[in-house]
Amino acid sequence: MSLTLESAGTVEPAIGAAARTGAETVISMLDAGVTYPNGKVALNDVNVTIPRGDFVFLVGASGAGKTTFIRLLIREVLPTSGRVTVAGRDLVRLRRREVPRLRRRIGIVFQDFRLLPAKTVFENVAFALEVTGASRGEIRRRVPMLLNLVGLHQHTEHLPTQLSGGEQQRVAIARALVHDPAILIADEPTGNLDPVTSWEIIQLLIQINALGTTVLMATHNQEIVNAMRRRVLALEGGMLVRDEPEAAYEREY
Amino acid sequence: MPFLRFIGFSAVRAWQGFWRNAMMSLATTATVVLMLVLLSGLFIVISGLNSGLQFIESKVGVTAELVGEPQHPDLTQPQLDALIAYTRALPGVDSVTYVSPQEAMDRLREVYKSRGQELDLGESAGNIKLYASIEVSLSDPKYGQSVTDALSQRDEVVQITTKQAAVDKLVGIINVIRTVGLVAITLVGLTVLFMIVNTIRIAVYARANEIEIMRLVGASDSFIRWPFILEGILCGLLGALVAIGMVAIVWDPIQPVLFNVFQMPVAVGSRFLATLSALLLAVGFGVGALGSWISVRSYLTA
Repeated sequence: MSLTLESAGTVEPAIGAAARTGAETVISMLDAGVTYPNGKVALNDVNVTIPRGDFVFLVGASGAGKTTFIRLLIREVLPTSGRVTVAGRDLVRLRRREVPRLRRRIGIVFQDFRLLPAKTVFENVAFALEVTGASRGEIRRRVPMLLNLVGLHQHTEHLPTQLSGGEQQRVAIARALVHDPAILIADEPTGNLDPVTSWEIIQLLIQINALGTTVLMATHNQEIVNAMRRRVLALEGGMLVRDEPEAAYEREY
Repeated sequence: MPFLRFIGFSAVRAWQGFWRNAMMSLATTATVVLMLVLLSGLFIVISGLNSGLQFIESKVGVTAELVGEPQHPDLTQPQLDALIAYTRALPGVDSVTYVSPQEAMDRLREVYKSRGQELDLGESAGNIKLYASIEVSLSDPKYGQSVTDALSQRDEVVQITTKQAAVDKLVGIINVIRTVGLVAITLVGLTVLFMIVNTIRIAVYARANEIEIMRLVGASDSFIRWPFILEGILCGLLGALVAIGMVAIVWDPIQPVLFNVFQMPVAVGSRFLATLSALLLAVGFGVGALGSWISVRSYLTA
């Protein structure tokens, strides 16, 4: 990373491809800041707009604010300053009991998959529907469809421990998509995977993005970011220091 | 339909949760049983004593001993009739019975006989004469004092005795038993509450991963919380059912005691087991719901 301080404060927000065509905004942060109760400033004056259908990489060193950025989007933390709008909802004004509805508009996957080890592949995906009150018919219809999409229709009765890391991440992705979310957030989805498997997961995310879902992927994987040439948001010390379309992992100018 | 699915989901999860940590759940249920058995014992004893008390109170009357020889001349029949008529006219008086000195002596002999003894007055038997008296039964024990006051002003009356002292003593005993019992049950109840809070806390921790995923995929608070509340209620209700079973088993030997010793009215007695069962179910349900609610409030903060 070769970022200078003077560049940090004066970032011109990049306009994504979809925004240029006038698509609806799914994520918008306006002077958003998060200061934790212990006084740590995790995010500072972040301004960003992500239109529907974008594919965005979120990069930055550990402690740069990526995790807080994601927690902010799913309203695990509230902005202590500024405004954040996700899927048409103002998160500051959103009432507590409306939070579950927001989260159904956001799918999220993690580096450690977070599957339930005692449940089969089918049950892991079905669980996300079951706990939101879906009918059995809906579960029987949607789960096979999603497992088909991620290429796991052969493994429905397997337990997570019987699957490879890449397959487990596919289950997690299928689960994240059960409510047909507007946004899929992937927090280091390839962090535990070998390079070949990582590429397979990226291919799957691209495929999902092509179906219309906005994808935000936090990653340290330079190779992938550089090869993909998608929009890159770079965080450093809680500030958004770069927002560039079709960019590389590090600043190139 | 969505509501039924929610109930079904919560009930299944509560049942799974109960057996997932079976040792803890069963230990908690056992403390619920202990508490409810204590409560049943207290309920039975208090109900019995109360019935006994009511029976005694219904029999409580006022006995007025009348003047007579050798200190005074015996009352003449007109005097006696006038006194009885006066007493009958007092408010709250149900009936008035004259007991002659001879009848009084016969009763005394009966009392001795019932104890297996013979009343032996020796040589002086011929000189001993008991007071004649009138026995007043009351339509309600609350008139005892006014009737006593009215009779004690009459010259024909030497002394008045009532069973009020015995009643007061019994009321005192009942109050002591009730207080001691309620204190004991409250202490056991607090232990039970603590056990339920702890059981549900462990259940919440055991499901920490699931709860996290439920939150992330947008499960509402009720889907996250109610299974735990139901699990606590399950502990309480299971405990109540076991306690009811135990009471039902000992009901046959207890029943005659209630009816014969404590003179419980049959109308109350026939409903007794049902009333007690409803009480146990309500208390079991309540303590289970309260304990798990406290636990969910404390350990499942959003």
